Amino acid sequence: MLKGAEIVLRCLRAEGIDLVFGYPGGAIMPLYDALDGSGVRHILTRHEQGAVFAAEGYARATGRVGVAMATSGPGATNLVTGIADAKMDSVPLVCITGQVRTAMIGTDAFQETDVFGMTLSLTKWSRIVRTIEEIPEAIAEGFHWARSGRPGPVVIDIPTDIMKGKMEFAGAVKFIPRAKPAEAHVQPGFGETLVAMLRAAKKPVALVGAGAKISGAVSDLRLMLDHLKIPTIATVHGLGAVPPDAPYYLGMVGMHGTRASNTALHETDLLLVFGARLDDRVTGDPARFAPDARIVHFEIDPAQLDRVRACELSVIGDLADTIPAFHRDIKAASLPGWSEWLAIAAGPERAELDPRGLSQSTVRFLDELFSRLPENSFVVTDVGQHQMWAAQRYRSSFPRGFITSGGLGSMGFALPAAIGVQMAKPEALVVCVSGDGGFQMNIQELATVRRLNLPIKNVIIDNKYLGMVRQWQQLFYARNYAETDLSDNPDFVAIAEAYKIHSFRLGEEAMREFPVTEQTGDVLERFLHSSGPELLVFDCQPEANVYPMVPAGAALSEMLFEED
Amino acid sequence: MHAFHIRYHNTQGTLMRILNAASRRALDIPYVHAKASGPEHKATLLLEVNVKQIGQLCRDWHAIVDVTDVSVGAAPESRDDLDAEPWAISHPYTSRGVRDASASAARA
Repeated sequence: MLKGAEIVLRCLRAEGIDLVFGYPGGAIMPLYDALDGSGVRHILTRHEQGAVFAAEGYARATGRVGVAMATSGPGATNLVTGIADAKMDSVPLVCITGQVRTAMIGTDAFQETDVFGMTLSLTKWSRIVRTIEEIPEAIAEGFHWARSGRPGPVVIDIPTDIMKGKMEFAGAVKFIPRAKPAEAHVQPGFGETLVAMLRAAKKPVALVGAGAKISGAVSDLRLMLDHLKIPTIATVHGLGAVPPDAPYYLGMVGMHGTRASNTALHETDLLLVFGARLDDRVTGDPARFAPDARIVHFEIDPAQLDRVRACELSVIGDLADTIPAFHRDIKAASLPGWSEWLAIAAGPERAELDPRGLSQSTVRFLDELFSRLPENSFVVTDVGQHQMWAAQRYRSSFPRGFITSGGLGSMGFALPAAIGVQMAKPEALVVCVSGDGGFQMNIQELATVRRLNLPIKNVIIDNKYLGMVRQWQQLFYARNYAETDLSDNPDFVAIAEAYKIHSFRLGEEAMREFPVTEQTGDVLERFLHSSGPELLVFDCQPEANVYPMVPAGAALSEMLFEED
Repeated sequence: MHAFHIRYHNTQGTLMRILNAASRRALDIPYVHAKASGPEHKATLLLEVNVKQIGQLCRDWHAIVDVTDVSVGAAPESRDDLDAEPWAISHPYTSRGVRDASASAARA
């Protein structure tokens, strides 16, 4: 006979899980009681939001399912932002929550919340376990849906009495999904149609999103793009899928995308979208998005089709299947070349401007930092100006190397996510870039870093503002800097030292010379290659802005530049 | 006004997910009826939506794990006729099919 909690852990092991992130509490105590000897290592964070972001970081770095655990009530509600984040960014995540005893459900018992109800619109699938016998099936089904198709978050809510109960355990079960009559498959003949569309195109563009990476289709994508040689752009989650030195790669697209990418997207007459949702940060004004383009959308999740603009052709399926199929078709076809269009799209007139103005020192700092990273390093960012600067300056062809909260834009993401990344990849160099606002949203996770002695290299780009909001206030709200002043920030160096983490400040004057002096270079090298955790606080110009910028509601062609 | 039939396995939360797809878009739901229908369940909704919303809603419903079919049609004059379904046609899982695009490509 095994307790329900022991069965949960056995089932997790059967799903290949040996690491979970969580925070204990009353209703989930039976599960914690069973951890010892279960083969499942638990990482204690200092807040449930830290646990769920760490599980996300683990999942984003590996492609495997991340698991977070929390108790009922506030423990469960503290998971909600991470669950929403995982939904937006297609992250496979299983959250296991304790619940009050079955008999108490619905009585507003102590620490009771309806986590099932409150996460219905955020989860791909969820379940309240009602009997101990349901546990194996619930775990198996939850993991199936978290991983399958477009990955996403799952919640399994288990009342505490179910975890304490006992039954004979016959072993984990395998979930077999019910067939869906309307299941979508790749439609035969799409290649022929697409070849015809390519032949008619004068200015084709390929847009690469996270789907290419999630599907494990990066190698096939690169081969196909090498064959096509059309201007190629990436969303923030597509960074790393295309080698940045590829002659046809124009960089990141969207609100803070490169001028070459946004201009090409505005001018294209055939847009091939590979695994991107086309959200408003990518499209700008939907009515003026790629106004002359016919759109072909390669996508695993039909729910993402036609949200902004109707596509002419949808190619539904796993990119790992559809891209090779498309590549075979174009190899067999006679296609025109697009070298003239590529020469214009990637030409010197559309090249990025050298960093200038108030942002120059920060951009140079990130360039210096990133240029020192080994190829398979991870850059984890928080949300805000530093995130966009980092995305703009990121130059790596490591597909999973750039990890950020893109869809939901959750401040406080970076530090706990970096913990998850470092736990998943203990040998890798993990650089965590935050702003001074976001860092304070989960600053308590420095304790987790210290406890585990994780050699994460934390960077705070400190402008003493909620910088991105301040930038919008400057540009669109007549400089009314309402409640974005953080000039009374604490001494981050002293805080880190209190956690026994080596820390120091680097003034922006260190970036006046570029490349930097040997002395500054040595400082950065020591920071990156020390054996333990570090915190570097970089003093950023308070009113530095991120450019280019497409104002909200504008077309991609209406970028603002620093000189504007 | 459009009427929708959504067929689904009556697993935990599936009906609520179906309704959420409408409520998150701030759509009024003047009529909803859910009942067992053979081995599955069927929810019938009346919604005032435009063509773009129809596509979005139907694809969102199809993406729900235990939804098996989505049909849509102009609402019949009498709500008594809602259950008959001859007015509704199954909404495709995808957007445009290859055949449509082939014709379009050929025209280009």
